[in-house]
Amino acid sequence: MACAMVPLDEQQVTEAAGPMGKERTLPALHPDRKEERCFVPYKPPPEDSSPAEVEEFLEHGRFITEDLDWLLNLPHDKFWCQVVFDESLQNCLDSYLRHAPRGLDPSSLPSSPAMAEMQRSIHRAVFMTFLRMATHKESKESFITPSVFGEIIYNNFLFDIPKILDLCVLFGKGNSQLLHKMIENIFTQQPCYYGDLDETVPSILQVMDTILAKCGLQCEGAPATEPLKLNSHGRPSAMTMSQQDLVDLVLYLCDSCTTIQAFLDIFPAACSTFHCHSFLNRLASFYEAAVPDLEKAVRKRNFDDKSLQEDLWNRVCHSRRRMVETAHLMLQHTCLQPILEGSENIQMFVEELLQHFTSFLPEKRFLADYDEQFPVADDVSLLQQAFPLIDETRTSYLLQGVADAWDSVGRRRPQ
Amino acid sequence: MSPPRLTGALRSFSTVSKREEFTEHVYDLKVRAFWSKLHSQELFSREGLTWQKIVQFLTQHLDKAEQQSATQELKSILQAAKQIVGEEHGQDTIESAAVFLFETFHNKDHVGLEETRAIKQMFGPFPFSAADTCCAAVSRCVTCMKTDNACALVCVTRVTEADRHITAFGRNISFSYDCYALDPQEALPWTGGPDEETSGVGLDF
Repeated sequence: MACAMVPLDEQQVTEAAGPMGKERTLPALHPDRKEERCFVPYKPPPEDSSPAEVEEFLEHGRFITEDLDWLLNLPHDKFWCQVVFDESLQNCLDSYLRHAPRGLDPSSLPSSPAMAEMQRSIHRAVFMTFLRMATHKESKESFITPSVFGEIIYNNFLFDIPKILDLCVLFGKGNSQLLHKMIENIFTQQPCYYGDLDETVPSILQVMDTILAKCGLQCEGAPATEPLKLNSHGRPSAMTMSQQDLVDLVLYLCDSCTTIQAFLDIFPAACSTFHCHSFLNRLASFYEAAVPDLEKAVRKRNFDDKSLQEDLWNRVCHSRRRMVETAHLMLQHTCLQPILEGSENIQMFVEELLQHFTSFLPEKRFLADYDEQFPVADDVSLLQQAFPLIDETRTSYLLQGVADAWDSVGRRRPQ
Repeated sequence: MSPPRLTGALRSFSTVSKREEFTEHVYDLKVRAFWSKLHSQELFSREGLTWQKIVQFLTQHLDKAEQQSATQELKSILQAAKQIVGEEHGQDTIESAAVFLFETFHNKDHVGLEETRAIKQMFGPFPFSAADTCCAAVSRCVTCMKTDNACALVCVTRVTEADRHITAFGRNISFSYDCYALDPQEALPWTGGPDEETSGVGLDF
């Protein structure tokens, strides 16, 4: 065991080595101190499970839980040696994040109680491992210098943006407070993650453009796609694509919306990075273009399997909710909160919020759905209280625009 | 196969993840099964008594002459452990087995029923002569170390399962298995434009 009250990254240990126990001194965090272990990658529960497949899953799962329990039992210094220097461990954790069934997956529940129990054990052990990896101070005696901790997790890819998003969507529903602490600590100790997030947002916007392109649509503000080939048979659309493509597209949309919403809900500090990429306006345009098209396809196409049609409808509705919530989260954290907290630049935030609402006016379906969940009138009222100098003509115009949006989508606003 | 996921696309198209090819099948299950057996054999010694600790104790507490004879006994114990676990295993496994035998025999003068059962449970069928030789070697070694010292060494370094469980990270952290899921209650009404049919259309699920 390494010595106490000195950060792990500065500790030296003296250990017996070789058959005759000759002593040597080495840094506490050293590859030679890693134990020989053989973490196996995770495989999701089989869908049509024969007894042999069930047995294989259980055996596989037993290996993973045994190994992760062993890891969590290690003292602080040995844990970090394993985490940093054991590639099989990182492969195991990464495979879980990639392949573990989400609650939203079409077949997320294992078919046998034994498999379900095993899946739960793995789920917990993986979370606890990530939690320990996100903790630079376990106790007074067991800690790592914060800046070194930041370097370790970043340089060894123990966490990266896709992993953080996976953690949010897999564990965020019931463990949001713990996850918030974890992610906040990761970003605080290693600000490079903000840079990575900044690099990732354009890829998220690209995902939205890809969905639109598959539907033969183009988002406002998105870069122009390739011109249509002369010999192509018209644009693809949600109505004409194969049923499997439509299913995949809806699943993709559903997963993307849930993941982004979960992440911003758990770590609202990321809203400003998304904001810098005009994410809010792109999201509203995307919603306006994609949602009616997908809804129409799900409603009007002929499905042999009606339960599949119902499932897709639920997924489109779920995605709509998550997109609207994402928009609200962003408005709340980038504009409303600074206004309510009496920030110095209150006028700037008021102006920004009004501009956002004004930019939503042409996106009528989006605006009506947003207003249904988060009434714009409530926010305007808050603005008027926090900033009495607000231009009343402007707010009236805005509220009239919201009412028009409801009319133009042919719905009646709930009283 | 996993459904299409946002994070899958981000891993493929963004530059913020490790670029190395993800290796799905680095280890096969047979290899891991072997390790599992090995680990169960090593478990008792991983954080408790180790061969190095026994060697270290002898180096620090015995004079040169005693050390020499104790070292001979240790060699005999290792040799017996090798016969019991099988020649094909590596040095680490043999040393772990030797520690197990040392713990088993440190306060015994012969191989009784209880010891036989414990060894068989751990390693399967074994040559009794090897256990007998080992028991005698441990007994002579303990005499060199002074019996009380040997008992203290075994007891102080012994880590029980209960101890291990208490120290497990996250043991006291409450964890929720809740996950994001589809909620049929969230199904919103149809929001087609005015040109869309809005009446008489049912999903008829």
